[in-house]
Amino acid sequence: MIKIKLILLNIVILVNTVYCDRTKDKIYENISGHMCFRRLNATHQTGCSSAGKSRGSVGVLHLISSEDDINFIINDPPSPPYAPIILPNHFTRENIIKLRDSNYVSAIVLVNDTSDLDNFSQESKCPNQFFRHAKQPVCDSKNQNTVWNPFGTGLLHENFDIPIIFLAKKEESDKVIKCYNDFNKASSRKSLCSIEINSFMAASGNSEICIRRSRSLAIIRQLTFCDPLQGKNVYGTLYPREIVNPINRTNDIDEKFIIVSAHFDTTSMFDGIALGAMEFSSVATLISSAHFLKKIIKKDKKSKYNILFMLFNGESYDYIGSQRFIYDLKKNDSFPSPSSYTRPLTLDNIVMMIDIGALDDFDSVSIYHLNESESFASKFTSAINSYNNKLKLNVNINAVNSNNLPPVSAQMFLRENPNFPTLIFASKKPKNKFYHSVYDDVKNMKFSYYNTSEDFDQLDDSTKITHFPSDSIQIKIRNVATLISLGLYNLLNEDNKYAENLIASSTLVDEFLYCYLKATKCRLFDSIFVFSNDFNGLDYPPQRYVSVQAAITLEATGWAYRVLGFVLSQKIENIQKENCTVLPYYWIPGSLKTGECRLTTQNLSYALSPAFEEEGYNYKSNLYSTWTESTWNDLSARIFLQPSTAHESLTFIIGLIMLILSFILVYFINSKAEILFNDINTEHVALPAQC
Amino acid sequence: MTLAEFFGCAFLAFGPPLAMFCYTISDSPIKIILLIFSSFLWLLALLLSSIIWFIFIPLKSYLIFGVVVSVLIQEAFRFIVYKLLDKTSAGLEELAGNSLVIHNKTVLAYVSGLGFGIISGLFQSVNILADALGPGTMGLKSGSEMFFLTSATMALCIILLHTFWSIIFFDGIHHRNKAHLSFVILSHLFFSITTLLNSSEIYSLTIILSVINVILTMCFAFKIVGGTFEKLKRCIIC
Repeated sequence: MIKIKLILLNIVILVNTVYCDRTKDKIYENISGHMCFRRLNATHQTGCSSAGKSRGSVGVLHLISSEDDINFIINDPPSPPYAPIILPNHFTRENIIKLRDSNYVSAIVLVNDTSDLDNFSQESKCPNQFFRHAKQPVCDSKNQNTVWNPFGTGLLHENFDIPIIFLAKKEESDKVIKCYNDFNKASSRKSLCSIEINSFMAASGNSEICIRRSRSLAIIRQLTFCDPLQGKNVYGTLYPREIVNPINRTNDIDEKFIIVSAHFDTTSMFDGIALGAMEFSSVATLISSAHFLKKIIKKDKKSKYNILFMLFNGESYDYIGSQRFIYDLKKNDSFPSPSSYTRPLTLDNIVMMIDIGALDDFDSVSIYHLNESESFASKFTSAINSYNNKLKLNVNINAVNSNNLPPVSAQMFLRENPNFPTLIFASKKPKNKFYHSVYDDVKNMKFSYYNTSEDFDQLDDSTKITHFPSDSIQIKIRNVATLISLGLYNLLNEDNKYAENLIASSTLVDEFLYCYLKATKCRLFDSIFVFSNDFNGLDYPPQRYVSVQAAITLEATGWAYRVLGFVLSQKIENIQKENCTVLPYYWIPGSLKTGECRLTTQNLSYALSPAFEEEGYNYKSNLYSTWTESTWNDLSARIFLQPSTAHESLTFIIGLIMLILSFILVYFINSKAEILFNDINTEHVALPAQC
Repeated sequence: MTLAEFFGCAFLAFGPPLAMFCYTISDSPIKIILLIFSSFLWLLALLLSSIIWFIFIPLKSYLIFGVVVSVLIQEAFRFIVYKLLDKTSAGLEELAGNSLVIHNKTVLAYVSGLGFGIISGLFQSVNILADALGPGTMGLKSGSEMFFLTSATMALCIILLHTFWSIIFFDGIHHRNKAHLSFVILSHLFFSITTLLNSSEIYSLTIILSVINVILTMCFAFKIVGGTFEKLKRCIIC
């Protein structure tokens, strides 16, 4: 009856004052959060998946506020399965593994609460530990003195057959905690507040299985079970390279390059939330030092070296970007791609490498190197230190000769050849307590934006004070970047020492960090890219997790491409906008918004593991990264009241009694119909009741 | 999973009509045809009331308007059912081969009333039953745990009421008894307006009023088909 439907509608409208279509909307409340998802490598699956394809995992919410609550849940609780609500400071390896291995836990809800949180990192203690140079001893997760991520729990590389959701928004966290407090705290007799999480992952087993399954079914279904992690490396050269015809380009063995690299990507356990702020300081250092170096080198005189600035992508997942780069160099005709109109490079063109690793602590920076690079390191370090003293930059730099190198791209070059001269800049002690986690944010980095109106394209003067306090991250990055650039300057110019007072721009660092960590609607991006229409950037930062091939992650690399292009570009005077449209010439608004034409050198290269390109690659060989990401249909979560067993049985028994009773009664009435009803039309009407 | 809740509610709402169908309808094909025929006409009534509700935009926000219109249209369709059965009784008799069904106006009324009831009960509760399947139950944001039980009870009430109303109504037309006809309409209006109380979540009151309504209507219908207290007593004794 329509009226009943209308009435139901009315109930909802009157009570809730929101328009709902169905009873369902009153039963469920959607929860938006970030889901842990599944990634696979050659041997394992990691991450989480909910239980079923059609229905998610359901569990009764239970707030973990102490050890006792965990013991309560894992020791035969009254109404399993449970979905513990856990605070970040309880998200330890011990607790989570205990909950995972319990039969009574069907999901884990991680709420956002940073109070009393000292450290939080799901990366392993030795990141990327199976991909490294051949020498021993190296990082050993059992020996805390050797590890590169001492706060790591390694949960990122564990497999969970239950879903884990992170509720980043305060109101969502409050919703589930309130629901727990309102319904579950008092007694277990009543209906209990529960959560249903849907995050079913299509892939299982390992990358090999899932790629094979995807390929064998590719003809039938368009969808895959998993996709390789891939992105783009961004690179640019200090000096522009000769433009050659792609058809008959050849390698020029006299072109010698020094690589200056940093890793660009980051990761976290949860989908769509990985800022990786503190690790981003290495990229900021690279950009700043490229900008400074380009400004101080002599433009007319060619050095015997060129510098290749590289931002490697996918490095968090067994160095996808650097592996691919080396693979391409070894193929002799693949890097750079023919469309770049430059000569191809081989490994022989690369003579040295400066890798900027994790700079968690700028006050004391170490230059890590193998024994083979000892002389290079000592020369570089002494050059840097003399500039450090002269310019009063107050950075404590020392060289460290060790086989235990930080987990950086250089490991892949040293795996090829341990004699390759390589220096790795990294903080003396790893201090990032939130490495590869959702809390590696601007607060962790201690970055605050000063929003100066200074021209960021101008260099700082070491004798003058800036807008930034001397202990700010902007100044610290500037100082380290300055020193790296001056070390390179010495390499390029043999004997000529740098005698000026100008040093790298702190304003550029400030603007660059703001764009990547706060919002892409920012001054730097606005100055290096001509936005079309009204759009001029977003209010949130770009995603740097390497991810699968998708437009959303291309944004971050796209901006890196433009920023690196800008800092390495050379202003060309007296060219109009109309004549500045074909690369390498590129028109930008410029830091003063006057419009300028720039001669650029930047480009992109693939960061897709060779494992997925090579025919018949042996997945067990441990040669290349094999990380893939599972596909999924739906990531969703909702809370609701799960009827108590008492209520359920009551309803069922009432229904059953009614059913039985009505069958008896109707049978009875039907059989006695002649007595009960005065049926004039029946033949037996005249007969008296037969008792 | 709240399969138990689903089946509990389903049994509560549709147990009695199922029993009625099994024992009194399923023995004769013509009765089944009549049942479905009247269900179809109830659907037409629903369609018509929705159209009217849809057209009169200014009155959309007044629920009571929709309720009254819908009740009147349903009663009009009950009359149409009677007329149609009356007109086609000769043909039906041929079809049935069993004059008992066709000539007994009470049986006709009972079958078509049950048809009305079952379809309206279905329409009322199918959406809710689907949601009762789980995994959640009512009461998170507001609303009470008793929501599903209440709506199942209300569905049962409307099924039984329709059956009784048809018996009284057909008899009223047959004997040109306006009092019977107005009783049916008033009872129907009363029931529908009672459900409006659900919005304030006084489920107990709604259920009590509806059950009283059902019992009263049942007694009336029982009296009309020739039942007396004496007969009932005799029936129980032996």
